[in-house]
Amino acid sequence: METWRLVTTWNAQPAFNLGLDEALLESAGAPVTVRFYSWKPGALSLGYFQRLEDVPAALDARAVVRRFTGGGAIHHQRELTFSIAAETEHPLYRGPIAESYARVHAAVARALATLGVTAELRGERSLASEREGTGMCFHKSSPLDLVWNERKGVGSAQRRSKGRVLHHGSIKLGTTPLEGDIATLEHVARGLEPESFAPRLREAFEAHFGVKLVADVPDALERGRAKELAVRFASDEFLRRR
Amino acid sequence: MRPNDRKYAQSHEWVKLDGDVAIIGITDFAVQELSNGNESDLVYCDLPDAGRMLAAGETFGEIESVKAVSDLYAPIAGEVLETNAAIEDHLEILSKDPWGAGWIIKIKPESKKLDGLMDAAEYEKFVASKKH
Repeated sequence: METWRLVTTWNAQPAFNLGLDEALLESAGAPVTVRFYSWKPGALSLGYFQRLEDVPAALDARAVVRRFTGGGAIHHQRELTFSIAAETEHPLYRGPIAESYARVHAAVARALATLGVTAELRGERSLASEREGTGMCFHKSSPLDLVWNERKGVGSAQRRSKGRVLHHGSIKLGTTPLEGDIATLEHVARGLEPESFAPRLREAFEAHFGVKLVADVPDALERGRAKELAVRFASDEFLRRR
Repeated sequence: MRPNDRKYAQSHEWVKLDGDVAIIGITDFAVQELSNGNESDLVYCDLPDAGRMLAAGETFGEIESVKAVSDLYAPIAGEVLETNAAIEDHLEILSKDPWGAGWIIKIKPESKKLDGLMDAAEYEKFVASKKH
C-alpha cells in the first residue's frame, strides 16, 4: 500500500502556513504530502492575482496575506485547511486539472458524509451563496465546487510548478461575518474544531485513495525553506504586489 | 497534427523562429489542461518586461485559470523583446488561436539551434503518453 506523509500544524501563523505549503510544493522527490492545519490569528488570504482593494472584507480581517494559489479570498477561521503536495505525474494529479479536483473532492465528500452531510459537485445549478463584488472565494463558484444546502462549503485552488502541484482546500466548519451565509458543518456539529474533524478526513483520504497516511514532520530542508518563504508571505510588498 | 514549423518543450511551450526572432507560446494541449475546454476559464497572466534575459527552462511568466496557477517556461535562452499585450486582457485568444494570435513573447535567441526540443511528431507522441 502506498504511504503518504501527513503533516499537522494547528493554530499556526498565516505566513508560516503559506511558507510551509510552498516549501512542500518545491520539495521534489518527496512522497505525497497531505497537510491539515488551522490559522492563528484567523487570517484572510487573497488569491495570488487579486488586488487588495478588490476585497472589501480585507479591511475587517485581523490579518491579511496573499496566497500563491489563485482564486478568491478566504477567511481562514472556523475551517479545516488542507493541502496536498505531489508530482503532477502522480495518479492523483495526472491528466486534466478538472479531474484531479473531482478526485480530491470525492474524498472530502466522503469525510463530510460521516457527519450526515451530502456534498455534491455544483454542476450547473445556481447557489444561494453567490455574491457580486466581494472577491471572496465562497461567494463565487464553478461546476467543480463541493456544495450542500445550495451553498458552497469547500474552497480549493492549485498551484502547478516544475512538475509538481500544491492543492489547497478550505472546509468550512462554521461561518464568519466576513463570509456570511455559506455552507458549513454548524448544523450537524455545532462548534466543531478542525482537530476534531481531521481524523474523519484522514480516514476518508485513506479509504478513498487506498493509501496509508503516516504522521510525519517536514524534513530539515523543508523547514528551513518554509522559514525563508514565510518572510516573503509576511511582507507588505508581497501583499500589495498587484 | 500540430504545426511542423516550430519545436515543442515537455512543459508544453512552443518556439518558432522568425528571422532573428524566436516566438514563444503554449500549445493547445496546455490550454486545454488549464481551461478544461472553457475559454473563459483563463483569467490572468503575468508576462516579463522587455529586456529581461531568460535562461532555457527559466520561468518567464505565470498564467491563472479558474482552477490553477501555472508557470510558463522559456524553451530556449534569450532576451525578451516583446510580449503580446493583446492577450493580457483577452486570454480567450489562447484558446482560439494558440499557434498564431495567441503567441506570448518574442525573444532574441542566444542561439538559433533548437536543441533538446521536440518536433511536431515527437510532441504528438509525448502528449498521447500524457493521456493515459
